[in-house]
Amino acid sequence: MKEPRNNTIRRINSGFINTLKIWLREYQVIFTDVGVIIVMIAAPLVYPVLYSLIYKPEIITDMPIAVVDLSKSADSRQFTRQLNATQELKVAYIATSMNEGIEQFKLRNIRGIIEIPKSFSKDIAQGNQTNISAYADMEFFLYYKTLLLGTSFVTLETGKQIQVRNLMQQGETLNEADAAVNPILIEDTSVANAVGGFATYAIPVALMLIIQQTMILAIGIMAGTARERHAMGTLVPLDKNKLGTFRQVIGKGAAYFTIYAMMSVYLLGIIPQIFGYYRLANFNELAALITPFLLSCIFFGMTISVLFKNRESPMLLFLFTSFPLFFLSGIIWPLSNFSNIWLIVREVFPSSNAVMGYIKMNTLGATITETSREITALWIQTGIYFLTACLVYYVQVKLSESKGKEINTSPITSIKHKIAGRLSVN
Amino acid sequence: MKSILLNILKVARRETERMLSRKLYILTVLIFPVATILFFCSLMKEGVPTKMPIAVVDLDNTATSRKMARNIDVTPLSDVVMNLQSEKEAMSALKSGKIYGFIVLPENLQSDIMTSRQPIVRYYYHNGLFIAGGLLRNDFASMTNTLSAGISLQRGEMRGLPEIAVMSQIQPVQLCTHLLFNPTANYPTYVTTIILPIMMQIFILMITVYCIGIEIKEKTSREWLKASGKSVVVALTGKLLPYTVIFLVLMMFQNFMVYKILMVPMHAGIGCITMASLLFILAYQAIGIFCIGLLPLMRHSLNLAAFYGILALSLCGFSFPTESMSPVFQLWAYGFPVRHYMHIFQSQVLAGFGWVYSAGSFISLVAFLLLPLVIINRLKSALIYQNFIENIHKTDALAAQA
Repeated sequence: MKEPRNNTIRRINSGFINTLKIWLREYQVIFTDVGVIIVMIAAPLVYPVLYSLIYKPEIITDMPIAVVDLSKSADSRQFTRQLNATQELKVAYIATSMNEGIEQFKLRNIRGIIEIPKSFSKDIAQGNQTNISAYADMEFFLYYKTLLLGTSFVTLETGKQIQVRNLMQQGETLNEADAAVNPILIEDTSVANAVGGFATYAIPVALMLIIQQTMILAIGIMAGTARERHAMGTLVPLDKNKLGTFRQVIGKGAAYFTIYAMMSVYLLGIIPQIFGYYRLANFNELAALITPFLLSCIFFGMTISVLFKNRESPMLLFLFTSFPLFFLSGIIWPLSNFSNIWLIVREVFPSSNAVMGYIKMNTLGATITETSREITALWIQTGIYFLTACLVYYVQVKLSESKGKEINTSPITSIKHKIAGRLSVN
Repeated sequence: MKSILLNILKVARRETERMLSRKLYILTVLIFPVATILFFCSLMKEGVPTKMPIAVVDLDNTATSRKMARNIDVTPLSDVVMNLQSEKEAMSALKSGKIYGFIVLPENLQSDIMTSRQPIVRYYYHNGLFIAGGLLRNDFASMTNTLSAGISLQRGEMRGLPEIAVMSQIQPVQLCTHLLFNPTANYPTYVTTIILPIMMQIFILMITVYCIGIEIKEKTSREWLKASGKSVVVALTGKLLPYTVIFLVLMMFQNFMVYKILMVPMHAGIGCITMASLLFILAYQAIGIFCIGLLPLMRHSLNLAAFYGILALSLCGFSFPTESMSPVFQLWAYGFPVRHYMHIFQSQVLAGFGWVYSAGSFISLVAFLLLPLVIINRLKSALIYQNFIENIHKTDALAAQA
């Protein structure tokens, strides 16, 4: 170590050791702070379970409806029974007039009204087209969907029975009759989520957002806490060995990455297994997506953590973004209908591409190549946010250095000693 | 009485000065709420998604199939952006997100129709997308049914049958859907109107817990109590009053955007809307007081409020109806003022039902105002004794051991 040519090696060596020290110290910072443990460990453990239990029913079954039976015939009663037999609907009320049905609706006893016309039975007998009216509750999209699903099924079934009966009467064979009525057969194929389960739509978004939001909040909380705890209110402690931009960024980043890599195994491996969600992506595919996602979240979190002056700031200034980010992911409102400004804002947050990529790979079974747009975007974000994280940490390190110098040149020896004492603690 | 009012004003003035002293307040009660209102109002401004990208895979390439492909392109909902040669190619385009669905016109389509062999037309849609998947499914179903009916009609005409006879043969029972009390079937009406109060409750909760918690954390709570004439009720009223006013203005701005810009139907008077908004704000402020009273250490009460506030989206019954959830969550759902606010909006504002039908929801909102009474004494002692101060230098000491 005496020879000068060893200086570089020594510097690299000390850099490496100090990075390791910062890395390990970061674990200590995390695991000695209940607030951070709650956000970083408890929240990602609890939320997915809670959401899964909330959305467990997946679809609406036995939605209460009223049937306004104006026909009062054997045919209409048969139709009502068939409605009741569907998985989606339950006939909770049989009304004799529309007003009666509406009153039930106002009282929130029912969620939709089916009106069977007076001429129902007569129309069927005479081979005329008959009209069933469905009045849907538009409070919730899902009520509307459920009413339509149940009613159109029964309507089609009844229609088919009538068709067959009519055509057989005309002396046609079943096949001929069918071909005449349906010149084309139609096959409906849902790519992913055939039953339209709500959890299948929402859980993938929730999982990705949980990773990103808890990570950014935790990093912010730790940054705010560090400022409160450091003698001069700086983000980086005034410790010579730790005053290195790369050491800080890489050391801390490594700590977060290892923790969240383990959380990802739970969130993306165990949770879908327990609750039976789609699991079309294999380990390698998930790793290809999640690695840049975690890295971009870490560096993004470190970049904006500089804005949080206090421990509680992130909760006030960042928590609310969870809801807009849910919509920015593009699974609720389709991306094809986003205006350019929101498409640009969307690209700021790693979660947007991660959600889309995760759904593609895991729910649709897309390959890495088919997900390349998202993966590339996440790597670009990783690169950009690594640079910005280094930049803000460089500024913060310089700030700490100048504060350190200020202390050293301070004429008031008592303060100097006091702060120097605290520094040695660090 | 007069002195109480004066003290409330005194505390309110003190709070306003505190608010102006830090950017954090301005961001949380003004800039971010306004930004989110503008975001949600502009995101779905079209009402219903239009021109969603789809593809046509024409394996037949005959006059009939090309005519069908042209007809597929005419609905406003979707836009044929690709004409592909194989199903595999289309599936890959769907998986990579270039299209949201596609329709396959099979080989021998034309000749099969001619010979009544019932060719199978298949359509695929990306059902990992919530709104787009469902809409495209309906769109595809109606497009293909129209194609099929079109052929039947043509044949019927050739046989000299009138259209009405053919239609009653194809579809003996027709389903007409009507929308109850919301003639405009667009998304802002039932997404934006509810997501906005859900956003607002986060801001109200967070700032309420913060503005009280910071007094405890920075040990200024005694000074605050002194200004109020040593009454915790006066202190809380005076402190939260400026926020009540600000959030009421924000809620009215939000209502203006919803009813005047997005043109959501409004069947209730402005008085009713103001009343509901005010009770909504007060209910959440009460919950905020409850959180900080329960856990006077601000970092814990903020976590609690955040946990509760974030769950509102899932549990208020807006994303998924509570009636279909397990009983535990059904009960839990009543604990969200936003759920009652939503009922008032749906039944009174949107559908125009009378007061009677939303009275229960108003009463529930008022009930939340009783919540602070449960913990008022605990909060008072926390303010006076300041016994919930976190030890700031804790990890520094621990670092020394390392």
